[in-house]
Amino acid sequence: MSTASTRTPKRRWVAAALVSALAGATCLATAACGAAAPQSQAGGGTAEQAQKLVVWDWHSGDASTKAYYDKAKSDFEAKHPGVQVDFVAQPYDQYYTLLGTAIQAGKGPDIAMFNGGAQMRERATSLLPLDDKTADLKDRLVGWDAFKDAGTTYAVPITLQGFPFYYNKAVYKKAGLDPETPPKTLAELQTDCAAIKKSGNVCFNLGNKEGIGIEFFLSGFAPGVFSPAQYDAWLAGKRDWKSPEVKQIFDLWKQTNDDGWYNKGVNSTAMFNDQFTMFSGGKGGNVIGLISDTAHWKSFDEFLGPDLGVYQAPILNPANVSKTFLPAEGGIGYGVMKWTKSPDLAVDLIKSLAGTDAEKQFFEKAGAIAADKTIDTSTVDVKAAGQIVSWLPDSKPLLHTALSAKTLDLMHRLSQQLISGDVTVDAALTQLAASDK
Amino acid sequence: MRERGFGRWVVAVPMCLLALATIYPMLFTLNVAMKSRREYVLNQFSLADHLTAANIADAWNTSGLGRYTFNSVVVTLGAVTLLLLLGSMAGFAFSQLTFWGRKWLFLVCLGALMIPFQVIMVPFFRVLGQTGLLDTHLGLILAYTGQFLPFTIFLMTSFYSRIPAEVIEAARVDGSTTLGVYRRIMLPLGRPALLSVGILNALFCWNDVLISLLVMQSEQNRTLMVGVTALRGQYSDNIPLFAGGVLVAALPVIAIYLFFQRQITDGVTAGSTKG
Repeated sequence: MSTASTRTPKRRWVAAALVSALAGATCLATAACGAAAPQSQAGGGTAEQAQKLVVWDWHSGDASTKAYYDKAKSDFEAKHPGVQVDFVAQPYDQYYTLLGTAIQAGKGPDIAMFNGGAQMRERATSLLPLDDKTADLKDRLVGWDAFKDAGTTYAVPITLQGFPFYYNKAVYKKAGLDPETPPKTLAELQTDCAAIKKSGNVCFNLGNKEGIGIEFFLSGFAPGVFSPAQYDAWLAGKRDWKSPEVKQIFDLWKQTNDDGWYNKGVNSTAMFNDQFTMFSGGKGGNVIGLISDTAHWKSFDEFLGPDLGVYQAPILNPANVSKTFLPAEGGIGYGVMKWTKSPDLAVDLIKSLAGTDAEKQFFEKAGAIAADKTIDTSTVDVKAAGQIVSWLPDSKPLLHTALSAKTLDLMHRLSQQLISGDVTVDAALTQLAASDK
Repeated sequence: MRERGFGRWVVAVPMCLLALATIYPMLFTLNVAMKSRREYVLNQFSLADHLTAANIADAWNTSGLGRYTFNSVVVTLGAVTLLLLLGSMAGFAFSQLTFWGRKWLFLVCLGALMIPFQVIMVPFFRVLGQTGLLDTHLGLILAYTGQFLPFTIFLMTSFYSRIPAEVIEAARVDGSTTLGVYRRIMLPLGRPALLSVGILNALFCWNDVLISLLVMQSEQNRTLMVGVTALRGQYSDNIPLFAGGVLVAALPVIAIYLFFQRQITDGVTAGSTKG
């Protein structure tokens, strides 16, 4: 590096000024590390700002949920004229990263949307307890358990989440099977899969690129494996990862792949939305789908129409199970952030978002099974939707949402390694047991 | 030296395969954007039946991509201007001037290159919030400037180091001040480097999602890439529409690359050789 050959105080001053200018800009990011002064609460300090509520979600930009949000907003504005409501739809991929940053900085929206289970529980300390503010909703809405942490409610359920088995009657028919009789036992499922495979189709569509296929498999098949007592114990935190039932499910995960039940390239296929696109396109006999905001009866019905069928988990373990059920619980819900300046207004807005008329729009237009048990679902003329709703009273929460985010992350990785043969079932269960302590 | 005979094929075949692997995703996206939703669901890999820009038009019209494009242009131009100004001044100072703490300050700048943005996300968010810069164009411009300035300084310092000291000495003899040397000698001589660095920074700013997502809190202030990322969530079951949005977002980047590919290559390799 060459330098100016002569130096004068004036030149040094100019050089120092140049470098100071750049240092100031460079350090905007780095100096921020040491500049964390006590944080004022969000929502603003003026009366005008206090009359504005900001809601973060990942749905309000969807064309299919427009009617739902319009209804909720008009309902709230009728009760609170002059209060501005801003729904900000964030990209789902980045949603929890963004929310996590806001939470750590103590500044962000007044209300946030959450998935039930681990995603909400991990952030419960940033939310206002809602038990004393939502008593009037308790009977009308279902799915509260997914939004509780240590017995305290932190969010209001809007939709339910569950894992029914959807099937394509045309594929069953082509395989020489009775399209009106889906499998009820593991033996029947194996027979059906062999027939479907022989007819040139894949038995199940699966995408495990994100590693979450195992969540659907575990929670989807568990009602046919666990005894009611074991199921309840799992949800209560008494989980025996070395039990024959857990091993049976993980063995089945690996075995079904080895037996060629799935489409090729499972670990490089995205579940959202390649797996479900394949099923909608008629390229699979079955799929473990959802009842909440995507990959549900409505999206499949659009392409399969009357060929769409749905069934509950088959019985895999007759010694434990005589009758299965739909695993379902709270799907998505809204919680009030601790830093909001207007907690009462925020709760009122959530009540509008959970209103019966708004929820009906969510069910009919967006296809999610609403958490409101009083809405009339008979207006939807899709057999699968009616069946799912009729199964809800007997449902129990999903098994995987009882796990911590850390254990779920591990399970995602292990699910891929099991399929690729890089880990044995026993080794995977040992790791999961250690993580879930 | 040009390869001949078998050697030429050994080089050409892998290069062609690499080019194909690079171009295929773009062609696939283009093909998907030309399909109807039903066509895509029924066969993802078939060629589109009819060539139509309906999905691109829908993505543009229904998803606010026009507004997002405007935001991207504003913050990209603002950030690149600031980056070139500060980066060239700093590069000049670090390469040609002697002052106390020069080496240490340069090391600090190089060190900043090693800090991933995720590490400073939270304090970054707080400072922007406290200074009222959150959800503003200026906030995002400053954020990009802070994030990409170390890289700019590194490249400009490297370029200016190659300018012989005699050039500056001659200017001094003619009575030029330091600011005069910067303005009349360094800026004109640095034009090729400024162009390369400017294009690279423009691509960085244009393609960024995370910083923009963090700074721009309201939907109307979003940049194009964040808008397209949001499209993926909003239209997760309408991939052709999403592909249309991706094309809208990618076209300016492709255009920049086609027009300025030599400068981009120069920018990427700057500093790798001396002389």
